Amino acid sequence: MIAFERFTLANGLRVLFHKEPSTPMAVVNVLYDVGARDENPKQTGFAHLFEHLMFGGSVHIPDFDAPLQAAGGQSNAFTSNDITNYYDVLPAQNLDTALWLESDRMLSLAFTPKSLEVQRQVVIEEFKQRYLNQPYGDAWLHLRPLAYQKHPYRWATIGKNIKHIADATMDDVRAFFKKHYHPGNAILCIVGNFELAEIKEKVQYFFGDIPSQVKSERKLPEEPIQKRLRQKTIVSKVPADSFYYAFQMGKRLDQDYYLADLLSDHLGNEKTGLLFTELQRKRRLVSEITAYITGSLDNGLFVITGKINPNRSLAELDEAIWPLLDHYISKRMSKNALKELILKLQTAKAFQDQGLLNRAMNLCFFELLGAAELINEESKRFEKITTAELQIYAQQLFDKNRCALLQIQAQKP
Amino acid sequence: MTQVQFDRHIAPALHPIDHISFVAPQRQLLNNGAPLYWRSGLQNDTSKIELHFAAGSAISNPLTASLCAGLLINGSNKKTAKQIQKALDAVGAYYDVSLSQETAVVTLYALKHQLYNAYLIFHENLFGALFPFKEVKELVHTRRQKFMVQEQKVSFIAQRCFQRSLLAETVYAKQIQLSDFDLADRSDIQAFHAKHYLKGLKKVFLVGDITEDTLQTFVHLLNQYQSEIPKQATFNWNPELGATHIEQEGAIQSAIRIGRPLFNKTHPDFCAFIVLNTILGDYFGSRLMSNIREDKGYTYGIGSHIVESNQFGYLVIGTEVGTQTREATFREVQHEFERLKNEQIPAEELSLVKSYLMGQLLKSADGPYAMLELFAHVESLGLDLSYYDQYIAEIKAVDAPKLQELAKRYLNWEEMLIISAG
Repeated sequence: MIAFERFTLANGLRVLFHKEPSTPMAVVNVLYDVGARDENPKQTGFAHLFEHLMFGGSVHIPDFDAPLQAAGGQSNAFTSNDITNYYDVLPAQNLDTALWLESDRMLSLAFTPKSLEVQRQVVIEEFKQRYLNQPYGDAWLHLRPLAYQKHPYRWATIGKNIKHIADATMDDVRAFFKKHYHPGNAILCIVGNFELAEIKEKVQYFFGDIPSQVKSERKLPEEPIQKRLRQKTIVSKVPADSFYYAFQMGKRLDQDYYLADLLSDHLGNEKTGLLFTELQRKRRLVSEITAYITGSLDNGLFVITGKINPNRSLAELDEAIWPLLDHYISKRMSKNALKELILKLQTAKAFQDQGLLNRAMNLCFFELLGAAELINEESKRFEKITTAELQIYAQQLFDKNRCALLQIQAQKP
Repeated sequence: MTQVQFDRHIAPALHPIDHISFVAPQRQLLNNGAPLYWRSGLQNDTSKIELHFAAGSAISNPLTASLCAGLLINGSNKKTAKQIQKALDAVGAYYDVSLSQETAVVTLYALKHQLYNAYLIFHENLFGALFPFKEVKELVHTRRQKFMVQEQKVSFIAQRCFQRSLLAETVYAKQIQLSDFDLADRSDIQAFHAKHYLKGLKKVFLVGDITEDTLQTFVHLLNQYQSEIPKQATFNWNPELGATHIEQEGAIQSAIRIGRPLFNKTHPDFCAFIVLNTILGDYFGSRLMSNIREDKGYTYGIGSHIVESNQFGYLVIGTEVGTQTREATFREVQHEFERLKNEQIPAEELSLVKSYLMGQLLKSADGPYAMLELFAHVESLGLDLSYYDQYIAEIKAVDAPKLQELAKRYLNWEEMLIISAG
């Protein structure tokens, strides 16, 4: 149970405070309700490029990091297809420094041409390092546009291609800030050994005078229900053939998410899951195989991925995988297995909740989903799931017509 | 509430950290002489037990050590691999094994009322381990496949070459080769397990609000380990320094490793060197990051780190840059060395880094898990928590002339090992 307080400033900034008396540290987390899904299809990779620019100095403060480091703190950020999240961890007595810095960059950035030029280069190197210069690194660059045809999840956060980043102009960047970076589009969470009254006072002091702005309405196209299997094969310089079966699933708060999460855990378990016991151990088709879900805010994907053994083929795997998935449709999971899955999830959650930063990020995330209270209700949602419900859902999920299949073939030497 | 207008140019006053308390864990000796360290006082139900075995990859054959670590509880006289996993699932426990050159660390995570049950499953199956032929064969195969993927990464190629050259002619230079997988032998793994696990328990760390009675039931089981840990051979440096480039056809980035032999916490220059290294490349505002990422945009990231082992330590600077900026990156790293050698670090920068390091230490001491980890870092070197008091004193005391002197002694380009791949 994570207890918290909530208040909203007049300019629309939503604030959460979670008191943790045992720590000498403070966490300041700021979530902006903007991700790669909010980008113009002709200017992809912008949300992420922008995250880099947020460290390049703000309107009154030339350097974001130095004052925070001088306060004994540290900062970082990440961008997903859904959100952009910034955090600062610092000694509690210097909380003001983080609030000063975060409020100034919410107010406005410095926008220097040099900062844009350099961060463009940095992001291009990031693109190369993570996506292009790694075996299988580009798989999701191919899988996304195969699995999504309408919804902006069809491009990765890094962008569709390097050119979009290389072409970004100062005006584009300014417009992006104006649209997405304002109090009404942000959620702030503070964790530490403080009193609510002092937090209210400090947040009002630092953030209160930031002008409010109307939150722009998000009108994203729904991804239509897929009617037929989509398949793409690429040839790449990799040591083994590889595959990605991506099935359409629901939104983060849909019952789908909870059902799919349990199914992916059950199917993908390293030692006991059917993928391992049948396809890897018994039939020796693959050298590794797992299942997971993307857990995105809009309709997500349930992914089964792995690598083919030498002398076995993608076709053999494909022939074997469908009857295996049919198991979940024809046979109900045992009650005991379900109980164990939930216990494991709860143990994992207890360990995750240990970290202050995790608590701060999750509180903001659930507030974005609708209400931070949801953070304490997830466990119950899992507990209510029945084996019958899982079986019915498996039938809907493992529909070959709603699958996008990416195959990567190893280039013959 | 009325809005107070304030001057946003003016930074809030900073409050230094005046004191950090370091709390030692409770200690109890096991029958084999290995210490058990226990920390309680958590705010939640989580718990973990960590077993350190003298079963690292440098002990004998690195592949045997790696396979043994991967197969520890994969079938025993009591249960199959699948049954063991199911038993752990039933108590909601996780475990992982991490292998360094000197030590294999097994960690079991569970809620506190299940930790003993989880450990019991681990214990029975470790002592009764059979290393079933099928499991061995499967792991050799998967590891081989994963190794082939790794071999395509420039970072992996550069890192391996760096370690081989830096630690040349020592047991730490031994590395797994693709051809080793064909020679992997089950009986070697069994012998390794009997010698380095069942007789190799070095120490145990336990975190969790368990009762004293439960602790003693752990002790009862842990007393079943014997300890015949051979003394480590004396370590002597014999590095093959200089520059090597490994060309990788088709690579669009080069991985770079630059470094040299150094020392660990037991050396009198260590604390001061931490300050110098942080300024050079160990935080976001470091000289290397400011120059090579934030000014030139050559890389997504560059860092400088001190890697410590029980017997030695070394410095390594690592990055991945576009192949066309590889040589320019070398020049800039060299330039940053020269600046540290030729110019005193400005007072503001030094003071910032000192505050930053204090803040990071405060964070590293936050909570029982973090505190036990801090303790483990010094314990393995034969030091105690007073090291951190000394660290604080030395960080506060170190001045620019001292750091310049260290730079002159340790940051000479011609004394570096320089590896690039890609």
